[in-house]
Amino acid sequence: MKIVAVTACPTGIAHTYMAAEQLEKTARALGHEIKVETQGAMGIENELDENEIRQAQVAIFAIDIEIEKRERFRQLKVIQVPVQEAIKNPKSVFLRLQG
Amino acid sequence: MSPGSSNPVEFGFVCPLSDGLHARPASQMAKFVAEFVSQFWLVNQRTGTSANLKSPLAIISADVRGGDTCSIRILGPDQEQAARALEQFLGQELAKENENSLPIEAALPQTLPRALQSPAITRYPGVPVSPGIGKGKAVVVGRLSLSQPLNGDSPASREQEERRVERAIATLRARLQALLSRSMSAAEKAVLEAHQSILDDVSFTERITASLAAGQSAGEALIATGKYFISLLKSSESAYVRERAVDVEEICLRLLEEIDGPRFGSARVTLEEPSVLVAETLAPQQLLEVDRRWLSGLVLEYAGTTSHAVILARSLGIPAIVGVKDAPVILTPGEQIVVDANRGFVVPNGNPTVHRFYDREWQTQRWRQQALSRHSTARAITRDGQRIEVGANICSGEESAAALAQGAEAIGLFRTEFLFLGRERAPSEDEQFAAYAEAARGAKRRVTIRTIDVGGDKPIPLLNLPTESNPYLGYRGMRIYREHQDLFRTQLRAILRASAVGPVQIMAPMVSTIEEVLWLKEQLGESQEDFERRKIAFDPLLPVGIMIEVPSVAFNLDQFSAEVDFFSIGTNDLNQYFMAVDRDNARVAKLANVRQPSFLRFLKHIVDAVQRNGKWVGMCGEMAGDVRNLPLLLGLGLHGISVSSPEIPALKRTISRFSVHECRQLLLEAIECARLEEVDELLRNFTSHEPVQPLLDPELVIVNSDSRTKEEAIRELIDSLYIASRTENPDHLEGLVWAREQTCSTGLGDGFAIPHCRSDAVKANSIAILKLDHPIEWDAIDQKPVSTVILLAVRESDTSNAHLQVLAKLARRLMNAQFRDEVSQLKESGEILTHLSRELQIPLQPQ
Repeated sequence: MKIVAVTACPTGIAHTYMAAEQLEKTARALGHEIKVETQGAMGIENELDENEIRQAQVAIFAIDIEIEKRERFRQLKVIQVPVQEAIKNPKSVFLRLQG
Repeated sequence: MSPGSSNPVEFGFVCPLSDGLHARPASQMAKFVAEFVSQFWLVNQRTGTSANLKSPLAIISADVRGGDTCSIRILGPDQEQAARALEQFLGQELAKENENSLPIEAALPQTLPRALQSPAITRYPGVPVSPGIGKGKAVVVGRLSLSQPLNGDSPASREQEERRVERAIATLRARLQALLSRSMSAAEKAVLEAHQSILDDVSFTERITASLAAGQSAGEALIATGKYFISLLKSSESAYVRERAVDVEEICLRLLEEIDGPRFGSARVTLEEPSVLVAETLAPQQLLEVDRRWLSGLVLEYAGTTSHAVILARSLGIPAIVGVKDAPVILTPGEQIVVDANRGFVVPNGNPTVHRFYDREWQTQRWRQQALSRHSTARAITRDGQRIEVGANICSGEESAAALAQGAEAIGLFRTEFLFLGRERAPSEDEQFAAYAEAARGAKRRVTIRTIDVGGDKPIPLLNLPTESNPYLGYRGMRIYREHQDLFRTQLRAILRASAVGPVQIMAPMVSTIEEVLWLKEQLGESQEDFERRKIAFDPLLPVGIMIEVPSVAFNLDQFSAEVDFFSIGTNDLNQYFMAVDRDNARVAKLANVRQPSFLRFLKHIVDAVQRNGKWVGMCGEMAGDVRNLPLLLGLGLHGISVSSPEIPALKRTISRFSVHECRQLLLEAIECARLEEVDELLRNFTSHEPVQPLLDPELVIVNSDSRTKEEAIRELIDSLYIASRTENPDHLEGLVWAREQTCSTGLGDGFAIPHCRSDAVKANSIAILKLDHPIEWDAIDQKPVSTVILLAVRESDTSNAHLQVLAKLARRLMNAQFRDEVSQLKESGEILTHLSRELQIPLQPQ
């Protein structure tokens, strides 16, 4: 599956990146293709472009705060989870994609 | 009432002063009416007391409060004229007094360490007046009182009674003299001298004599005199005057002891172990008598910031808080208590959490002092070997030793106006000399004493300066010296005397023309001649300098350089005059930015011009204290900067990372910029390439921690930042970390936790690591206890992504089980540092 994801936490120095790492690692293990954009203290990194979003089948938001440029995902199915869940149990996040 | 046929003039007035007719307005009124021949009476309708308006003491004792209705009666040849003038005075001049009243100091809201927040812990709040933390046994000191009956005092002949009083006064005077001959701090000396002056006060002795003449015994006369003056002083609306009641009371009691035997009883204490004195009030000599080896703190119910006990505590470095309601009753004698005069409360030390918290706090303070003194010995030298003097700004003589401990290489600015603030009378030459000499001795380095700098924006009651519509452009700084020549002369003499004690130099504020400098030098010359005649020691080569605050000076520097030895740039005023911005006006304050390219160009013009003339030039404004400006300051080629003491360690460390050569290039580029943003961008790029304090530091790695709770572990990490001078506000930082912890636990699982915060309360981005001896509960995502805690503290305003990238990398690595396993196996601080620096590819030392 082609997946795009965004992670963002309030402080933006740790959990944003931990969640990104977990999503990338788990996606790989499950045979998905994923690109994770982080919105942390350094601003938006690894930014998803229009093309990537169009080609994806689903978006995962592992966020505890409102994110920037949410309108990009208007056409896409979005699964939103707390950051903590992506860190603690990333597999369960991907299980939701089946539903 | 004086004889005469005419009827007195009468009129009423309502006191417009919220603080009432206290000492200052009373003396103003008395001075005003003294110019008339007529006699003046005031009757306070509320109390019925009447007062002769020509006597300040009588006015004070009439206890006129804000809103009281009074009637005034004037009788004499010029009564009509006097009435008109006085009515006008009351309506206009007196009303201005309200504006001069100093605001009441409000306690700052503060975050309390988590360990002290439990409702099981009782804290008794007060006002901290002398900082520090003191632990010890509560020793309750009884109240001094003149009300105890005399032991058995039958009056003999009047002559005999007079002799008894005289003998008592002579004995006490001699005892004070003996105490004064010992070596002591300026504050102790000032207090004892104040007591001497009460003994010598004419009205004091006159009152005793009058009581004796009325047939009272020596003891009765002393009690009556004491009570009279105490009630007079206590009824004053001025805190400063009220505080003096304790001094009179103590003097009378000491005299009574000479005449009537011991009277101090429970008020005299012997200390045998670390103790905290708890009292309603404490008389100064009472405090001086206490064995200081065992005196660890002071808790007073009634005492103001200007009471002698408080002044002494401050000078002796004894933590003290005042205003603790019912202190002698709520604190049990013998109980172990902590005086937390950093945070402003007393807390019983029985609770184990409290006990452990303060044990650790005490240790932290010690380690921080040691860490600071390690840095303080080093000079500030840039990477390319250039020296820039880092001095301290101080407000009192006592602060100089502390400044030195923080690493000050000089006292770059002694703001003497603080000696004059909140006073009814100007400090005497001796008192000023003591303060300046103390600074010179304490600093052991050059002390730049700036002569009094007050004016419309910094009103001081004793000068009674007019209120102005445009104070920054008005009557301030050295512009007031001609009118207040006596005051200025006194200060000059005190500074000259101090120049014989240590290397001091004199600096004038708010200079705008050469004539002002010539006048100042003339004054100085006259004082020097006088000193020579009287054979008083002084330094004939006392350097004279000026502040550069007024732009006109910047365009006359060749001429000024011929007259003065050094210059110090006061950036706050110079910038506001240069940009035409009132910094107190929020609508325009933003324009007053010292990094405006035009202002930088202006500064460069100044520094170049002074250096062309071979004179010394430094900077003592706020611009110098902000570490972000440092590359620009080094680029300017300043000889020195002077900042507040706590900034010094960080500044000195930062200086050692810059090269003056590169900073000069940066400045040249900055002054070519058109806009402020371009300067800031340049500065950002420049500093992002400069190695700042490393993220990882051996000082920030703690192994074998005995922290028992999450609270203690977080505090221990925050304390390590405080010890390393990476924060000055550990309580605030701790609060922020806990606030983050509330949104969701930072326990990652597998025994790891990463508490973190983003705030400028941390001075350098930091990773602090704690390895616990015994795992603790953290509410982690896997519910397992935690044994490795990694604190990430990042500056909010930090714009360099380098550190954030490292932290992001660390966060990602922590998701890797093998990495976690490796780190949890490491037991030594060196191993941990090496491992992390390799994994994260960051250097341990600044390059």
